Amino acid sequence: MSWVPDFQNPERLWTLAILPILIIAYLIVLRLKGRVALRFTNTGVLGRVVGSQKRWTRHVFVAMSLASLVALGLAYANPLGVEKQPRERATVVMVIDTSLSMSAQDVTPTRFDAAKKAAIEFMHELPASYNVAVVAMSGSPSIAIPPSTDRGATERAISALELSDGTAIGESITSALKAVDQAPKGDDDKAAPAMIVLLSDGTNTEGPAPGDAARQAKERDVPIFTIAFGTENGFVDVDGQRENVAPDTEALSAIAKASGGQAVDADNAAGLRNAYKQIGSVIGYEDVKKPITATYAAVALGFAIVAALGAVFMAARWPR
Amino acid sequence: MPSPEFSFDGPPAKGVPLAAPDDRRGAATSVLRPPSGPTIPLNRLAPEAALRRLELTIVRRLEGFLHGDHLGLLPGPGSDTNDARIYQPGQDDVRKMDWAVTARTTVPHVRDTMADRELEVWALLDATPSMNWGTEGITKRDLGIAAIATIGFLSQKMGDRFGGMMMLPDRVKRFPARSGRTALYGLLRKMLTEPIVPDLATGHLELEDGIEQLTRTERRRGMRVIVSDFLTPGDAELSPDAPPAWERAIRRLSVRNQVLAVEVVDRHEIEFPDVGEMLIRDPETSFSRYINTSDDAARRRMDAATTAQRERIKVALRRAGAGHIQLRTDRDWVTDIARFVLNYRKTAAVLHQPPQGVSK
Repeated sequence: MSWVPDFQNPERLWTLAILPILIIAYLIVLRLKGRVALRFTNTGVLGRVVGSQKRWTRHVFVAMSLASLVALGLAYANPLGVEKQPRERATVVMVIDTSLSMSAQDVTPTRFDAAKKAAIEFMHELPASYNVAVVAMSGSPSIAIPPSTDRGATERAISALELSDGTAIGESITSALKAVDQAPKGDDDKAAPAMIVLLSDGTNTEGPAPGDAARQAKERDVPIFTIAFGTENGFVDVDGQRENVAPDTEALSAIAKASGGQAVDADNAAGLRNAYKQIGSVIGYEDVKKPITATYAAVALGFAIVAALGAVFMAARWPR
Repeated sequence: MPSPEFSFDGPPAKGVPLAAPDDRRGAATSVLRPPSGPTIPLNRLAPEAALRRLELTIVRRLEGFLHGDHLGLLPGPGSDTNDARIYQPGQDDVRKMDWAVTARTTVPHVRDTMADRELEVWALLDATPSMNWGTEGITKRDLGIAAIATIGFLSQKMGDRFGGMMMLPDRVKRFPARSGRTALYGLLRKMLTEPIVPDLATGHLELEDGIEQLTRTERRRGMRVIVSDFLTPGDAELSPDAPPAWERAIRRLSVRNQVLAVEVVDRHEIEFPDVGEMLIRDPETSFSRYINTSDDAARRRMDAATTAQRERIKVALRRAGAGHIQLRTDRDWVTDIARFVLNYRKTAAVLHQPPQGVSK
């Protein structure tokens, strides 16, 4: 967000046009005032004794009143601030990697069990009104359970996930987008905002490249939050051969970036829980624009108080 | 008697006042802009009648060319006895025989007398822009003219002449010395009606230049009155040991003349005014600065510095051998001058000692 706020009534910003006029008027008055001065004869001694008075203080107070006017003008145009508000409803599609690499034991007990456990915990922490869908990501991704608010059914679906061959990240994102479509519409017949939480521990081995799918998600305004799960040294024994199954963090963060989401790394069970928590805090809230006129008015008040004090100190003579 | 060619200006008692100050603010506006005219009418300059009983003590010998009331420098017909000398037959008057000396010396002697001469007073008025200032109903310049008027009426003995000089920034204007009260009124009127010098007027003349000119042009011994505020524009020196620029000029003037310095000040030159934060400008220099005059400490410092500055002026005038009268625009100058004159009778002889080698 830039430092210039949005305004509810931007047309009222025209009031700020009087500021240059005021500044010009001030400069003219200053020039004219320079002509009217107190004549004094003994200025040689006066200059030696009193020294130079700082003239900028008077300009500071004028600047303060102008700043106060600026703040008031902005306040008049109803500036809008951004505020985080808990989302009322949303669709969260959890894409869980079920490839064979998930059987690696670098995370206790196994990557797969830890992922399931963390996913269930995450699901329970989401607000009850959220629809949660689960997509199993393997060579042929499938929607394990369409979006629903039934946490029990979803938990059972996650527990029932089984390992299979291959990792088709791109295709699984497409499946997740399909799952988003299946989400029930709200009362106002509008689809709830959707996010995809993608957990993967390997590279794309099958299907189309995930980049296209990520762009598609971006078009539909569905951010993808990716979790790169597993350690660099993770391995699995497949058909008697030991294969390294390090997560492809770069590819995942590229997906997240392309779709407007976030990428998180996790190399153990606790890290995974943290990653889910982090994502949960992002998708649990939405940015809502609210008028912050009062803030601007308060700032204007502050400036005005300083300016008024300055004016009084300069002009008035206090009773002694 | 007034000279026939001199136009009769008329004594102010009969005539219309030259300039009546419209109100008491007449001089106070001089704080903001130069006054447009005199702030005091001619007939209020000095109470002529009241001053007749006072006399300005003249201690220096004079060298006028008429028979007057003051002690002259050279022998001649007069009332004051001088030396006795041997009688020259056919040249000296027998009535002047000094019989006592003749009897003692057995040689005929006559008693010489010193000539009685008239007094010639020249008043130099500083009319630079800094004099066009006053906060108490009269500007310093007009107070100076009033002082000249008062001293003028004090020195109105038989045949005494009074001349004036006005020091403008670009030239020194000379009003010839004439005798008689009518001529004095004419001089005062001319001084009053002389156009006010605008602020920051072009010209390079300082007070010392005016005094030098007075020394040069008026060679005949007499009395010299210098009316000024004795402020050198831009001078911030406070130490009395550092002689002001005009001290040397006054010292030269006082070698042959009896010099009276009339220092005119305003109350607010001595007590710095409390008027809030103000842009303060000098009528003669380019000084222009915002000053917070409500600052008590600064005002105290300023008052102390002004006191030191006035002390320096006083010391310098004393060193130069000049009599010193300080007049203030918020006080009655006639009273101040009268008080000075009464005291002056006792101190003048000491004050105006000529330098060694110069006759009195």
